[in-house]
Amino acid sequence: MAAFIPAGSPIEQLAADLGTNGLPYALPIHPNLVHFTIGLFVIAIAFDIAGALYPVEKRVFRFLALPVTRGGFHDVGWYNLLACAIVTFFTVAAGFYEMLLAVPLPGVTSSIGLRSMETMLVHGVGGVVILLVIVAMTVWRGYQRFVWRRDMGRQVQWLYLLVGLGLFLAIGLHGTLGAELAAEFGVHITADQLLASGADLKEALP
Amino acid sequence: MLELLPPLNDHNLPWMDTIHPIVVHFVIAMGLITFVFDLIGVVTRRPALFEVSFWNLLFATAAIFVAIMFGQIEAGLANPYGASRDILNLHSTIGWSLAGVLSLMSGWRYVIRSKDPQQLPLAFLGAGGLLSALIVLQVTLGNQLIWVYGLHTVPVVQAMRSGLV
Repeated sequence: MAAFIPAGSPIEQLAADLGTNGLPYALPIHPNLVHFTIGLFVIAIAFDIAGALYPVEKRVFRFLALPVTRGGFHDVGWYNLLACAIVTFFTVAAGFYEMLLAVPLPGVTSSIGLRSMETMLVHGVGGVVILLVIVAMTVWRGYQRFVWRRDMGRQVQWLYLLVGLGLFLAIGLHGTLGAELAAEFGVHITADQLLASGADLKEALP
Repeated sequence: MLELLPPLNDHNLPWMDTIHPIVVHFVIAMGLITFVFDLIGVVTRRPALFEVSFWNLLFATAAIFVAIMFGQIEAGLANPYGASRDILNLHSTIGWSLAGVLSLMSGWRYVIRSKDPQQLPLAFLGAGGLLSALIVLQVTLGNQLIWVYGLHTVPVVQAMRSGLV
């Protein structure tokens, strides 16, 4: 039991500046930046896997008459990851801003059995951890590309690809928590917040 | 047709969460990064980036058909109300159009790459800019369906089922 829980929430200080969705603007930013973090990371690892398995698949590309180079696949793996690392700082920053303004619907338990505060804490800390891993992997990837393996055909270590696949799993779980904050806890969703306040959607959202 | 799907949950979906927004990660990120890398490649004269854009564009094109497939199923189960009906119609129309635009651009890009992978005509860069604008418009419409109208969110589905919407 916390020693002191005041009656009012600190968000009330800003209430006059926030819209029905709990934000000072119409559409949340974090979920849109997430497209880039996830898309760029997944494709970066996928193309490094394609580059690593190049000796196996080169016949397939010859059969398809699609001219490919192993270096080209690894270029996608490197540049997409670099872009991912840059964007993800903004993804996490926007996420924290919007989570500080979050008003999850009371009394809800998510489909994986967590309540709103637990979901937000795990999603918040998890987001920072994932950012750290992405940045560390980008440095690791850079060393492989420019120092350790610069003269080798396969530009990445198998361990790097394995860690990448492990992060797919972590990002999948992490994304599920984020999706639940929206679709189950109603965070920053105008219609859900209106329904919770007892409004009639036929009038409030014609 | 609907009896072929598993029973619907509290999101009015036959699966745990909406899948369409997950698949569109790859259309949005890969489509827009294609233009970004093309632009950087032209400005800083780095032809290696053209190869990176080519693959990203190809992936965006493959992904949009999967996105449309799940989008159509989930739109069919969305029960849009009020103005979200028009937004969903427009979102579907632009979605199918984007599939055509992306396919054409992939084909065009394949020819450009086959002729000379070190050069990118400015016309393609311009087309990439228009594609980006179309993607941003499409994303804004999709955002309104979820963040304003809350389609497939538990509270809206609940309200729908009790006839409040």
